[in-house]
Amino acid sequence: MLESLAEFAIQGIVLGGLYALFAVGLTLIFGVLDVINVAHGEFFAIGGYLAFAAIVVLHWPGAAGVAGAAVGTFLLGLGVYPLLLAPLKRRLGARPRGPLYLVLTLGLSTFLQSSLLAAAGGDYLRVPPYAGGVLDLSFTAVSHQRLLVLVVSIVLLGGLFLFLRFHREGLAVRAVAQNPDAAQAMGINLPRVFALTLALGVGLAGAGGALMAPLFNVYPTVGFPLTIKAFAITILGGMGNLAGALVASFLISLAEAFSVMLIPSEWQNAIAFAVMIVMLLLRPSGLLGGGGRR
Amino acid sequence: MLRVADVRSGYGKLEILQSVSLAVGEGEIVGLIGPNGAGKSTLLKTAFGYLAPFAGEVALEGRPLVGLRPDQVVRLGVGYVAQAGGLFADMTVHENLLLGGYALRSSREARAAVDELYARFPLFAARRRQPAGSLSGGEQRILAVARALAVRPRLLLLDEPSAALAPRFIADVYDTIRALNGGGIAMLIVEQNVEAILAVAHRVFVLDLGRNAFDGTPAELRASDRIRRLYLGEDEG
Repeated sequence: MLESLAEFAIQGIVLGGLYALFAVGLTLIFGVLDVINVAHGEFFAIGGYLAFAAIVVLHWPGAAGVAGAAVGTFLLGLGVYPLLLAPLKRRLGARPRGPLYLVLTLGLSTFLQSSLLAAAGGDYLRVPPYAGGVLDLSFTAVSHQRLLVLVVSIVLLGGLFLFLRFHREGLAVRAVAQNPDAAQAMGINLPRVFALTLALGVGLAGAGGALMAPLFNVYPTVGFPLTIKAFAITILGGMGNLAGALVASFLISLAEAFSVMLIPSEWQNAIAFAVMIVMLLLRPSGLLGGGGRR
Repeated sequence: MLRVADVRSGYGKLEILQSVSLAVGEGEIVGLIGPNGAGKSTLLKTAFGYLAPFAGEVALEGRPLVGLRPDQVVRLGVGYVAQAGGLFADMTVHENLLLGGYALRSSREARAAVDELYARFPLFAARRRQPAGSLSGGEQRILAVARALAVRPRLLLLDEPSAALAPRFIADVYDTIRALNGGGIAMLIVEQNVEAILAVAHRVFVLDLGRNAFDGTPAELRASDRIRRLYLGEDEG
């Protein structure tokens, strides 16, 4: 019994690293741009495809493939604000725009899925593990690949938090999240910060997609279920609250892992949404409260 | 230094300023007063680039400002302090001041500017790790002004620096304004507290319903029966 608990805990923590990588990026984008990026999962898929192209097609080493996929997704993300969101914002002026952005990013999600399907086909692609072997903990064993996902997730998230806390551009991102008008009065160029934030957020998703490519198959819609789950995590943690998203990612992943001891495994995916509904009914501001300005 | 000529401006299609002109000279404190809805804050926002005017000109030392974003106007030497300060309340005093120096060329320059501010405002050095939102109302207003000084502006635009402050804090804020002006910084100050602004301003503009209603010195304003009656709330005679 104790061994099973430990095993489920380890599974939950590893999965939590992935959820955090994904949900923190989504939350960052929401907190700064006030946009719910429905296309977030497609950048996860793009990360997987880029890793496949780099490692399987071009025979790059695994680390270079993952780094290349993260950078590639980041660069792609840099174009989303100026090419898609900014033109809509200019047309709308001061009118409420949240629902329109939601529809716009839903359109982007469908467009990217179709583009991936057209470019790479619908086959499930496999990327070989970046790290072979298992870590034997006597009561259970964890594959090195899973541990790698967890460690790299922690490093990337730690880097993001340090960037936001200490770097001049990170401070600017936080300032815009709190008060965009006052941020402009500091000399902060809002369109630049919006583009950077979107790129950072989807870059994290791309890194997650590349890291998970050996564990999931890569296919056009691989990221979409994660997007939906990340909405639940974001609501649990508090919309726009990065620390909340981090905590909620591990709470959800651990709840999912332990749930199989109590309920049939086919209900496992419903856990996050059950928590989301309960949270919306009892505490809509989330566990740690909303972090954005709006 | 700052020239606003025949400006019409507002929000969306709503025209608040119907033709307003004013000027701020080197080292001058200019007060902008008038009833609620007269367009005072709208004028400040238009001059700083938050609002694009429908017509008219705004120029700083002859250089047109219309079409520039606020982050570009800051780099030309203009600071802006919003009504209620516009601080990043959840960020520390130090982070707020560092952000004040964001428009400087490097982080090193920003840190040096913040050290200068700590020397000028020692209160904030002692409370650098405190969230800005936890300071008293008066301290927050002075922090907002201090933050705008990080880029060493030549002109400060202040939107109601005394709003919602207790009298002793208003005195602190205006002492700071006087001291800064003594160092050569010109200011355009929107104010509802007429007595406070008349005590420091070199010139005063009165706006009414989006138009100029008066332009002169505080002494001339006090001497004008019509303006006194309308804006200072004094009885005739």
